[in-house]
Amino acid sequence: MDLSSLYNWATALNPLQMTGSVLMIAVGCVLIYLAIAKEFEPVLLLPIGFGCILANLGMSVYNEGSLFYYLYKAGIETEIFPLLIFIGVGAMIDFRPLIAQPKMVLLGAAGQFGIYGVLILAVLIGLPINEAAAIGSIGAIDGPTAIFVSSKLAPDLMAAIAVAAYSYMSLIPIIQPPIMKALTTKKERLVHMEYSPFPVSKKVVMMFPIVVTVVISLIAPSAAPLIATLMLGNLLKESGVVDRLNKAAQNEIINISTLFLGLTIGATMVAAKFLNTTTLAILGLGLLAFVLDTVAGTLFGKLMCVVSGFKINPLIGACGISAFPMAARISAKMAQEEDYDNFILMHAMGSNTAGQLGSVLAGGLLLTLVAVIH
Amino acid sequence: MKIKVKIADQSYEVEVGDTNARPVIAEIDGQKFEVWPEEQSAVETVETVSEATPALKAAAAPVKMPASGGTKVVIAPLPGVIDSIKAKPGDSVNPGQELLVIEAMKMKNSIKATRSGKIAAVLVSVGDHVPHGAALVEFTD
Repeated sequence: MDLSSLYNWATALNPLQMTGSVLMIAVGCVLIYLAIAKEFEPVLLLPIGFGCILANLGMSVYNEGSLFYYLYKAGIETEIFPLLIFIGVGAMIDFRPLIAQPKMVLLGAAGQFGIYGVLILAVLIGLPINEAAAIGSIGAIDGPTAIFVSSKLAPDLMAAIAVAAYSYMSLIPIIQPPIMKALTTKKERLVHMEYSPFPVSKKVVMMFPIVVTVVISLIAPSAAPLIATLMLGNLLKESGVVDRLNKAAQNEIINISTLFLGLTIGATMVAAKFLNTTTLAILGLGLLAFVLDTVAGTLFGKLMCVVSGFKINPLIGACGISAFPMAARISAKMAQEEDYDNFILMHAMGSNTAGQLGSVLAGGLLLTLVAVIH
Repeated sequence: MKIKVKIADQSYEVEVGDTNARPVIAEIDGQKFEVWPEEQSAVETVETVSEATPALKAAAAPVKMPASGGTKVVIAPLPGVIDSIKAKPGDSVNPGQELLVIEAMKMKNSIKATRSGKIAAVLVSVGDHVPHGAALVEFTD
């Protein structure tokens, strides 16, 4: 570290800014505490928390020439970190349950409702459209997507958005089940689902990432980089011939990018940019986005349940969000809590992978929308 | 139901168990085979059964498993890998008692008895990849 920057920091600050920095260091400590004691997305919140502490000790990304300044320029402004992470995410996703049950795509679309609900609400309370859209991206319930979108639309809000997205994501087991339970009847939750997938051949599994990349890049160019890296990772895994690259994607590539992404985002959390009412609005609207996603997904699941003549368990609607595979596991667990012989995991996984794709698409759509309106 | 099948000039008498059960159990000369018909076509007519016969040939390794159907056999509700087995032949189990655990999509799924009874045989071992509908555990009655 450059010692003169520490000197500048100590001398140039007035007491008010000093208090702000101390407060932000406390925020960083809280994030680290949540990561260690509660295991809330520790892989992300721990580096973010530490980065936050560093930022308020004069090592922020706004400190020209510092390590984090360059990391921010190189990895966040260019969107390289979220995209590298997506290669790893792609290598960890199994699209078979979705390919085998294509109708799950509908649920993956319904689960994105929170993005647009919150976007509209944020505009109504007077936020500019780019900030409103960036906040709405929390409803994608997908860290890299939210960071990708907000770094393009409202870089100043990105840190708060990332923190909200990752904190709430780790709270999914607490946020979702009460909503799912309130919106469904016991009879609906007890619906058994026949698992009758289309046979998925190895060839189809390998063709899927290529076809999706081509199609999405043509119809939604702003989502193309995210889809492309996600599908590249998936192809590495499914091709079965590049085991070393597949393993690297699942481990080294995603781990290194996640570490530096977290640290750098943390290092944007200086008091002057973070301690304001917008951050509170982001935390509130972000939570609302999660709730709306769950409500819309579950209600759509109910609709499918009725239309199908009680052959679809509405619980799988709630996992039409990203947050793979946690959301699917929660739906499957909830069904089993009431009937231990009810296995809806594969259906939930189909809905969940559709949600992963849906959230990326919805993120791309946000970028297009703002570009058109502006 | 008994069906005569002729393959390469040789006639076989095939005893087919419950065609609604998965797998369908077919017995040829005392050897039992598991048959997985295409799910789209309900296996109810003799015609579709004979369609499935090539699969019989393909399933070269006989599966040690008595012909049965209905609730006598516990089947895999989802595809996965057998993670652990909690029941053994001779055990008397009650409804809700864990029989085995299937790991699917990195989630452990506890397979529990839906009835009480005595276990006749455990048809899988730890580490086995089981398809959806595979026979896992058999009751004595």
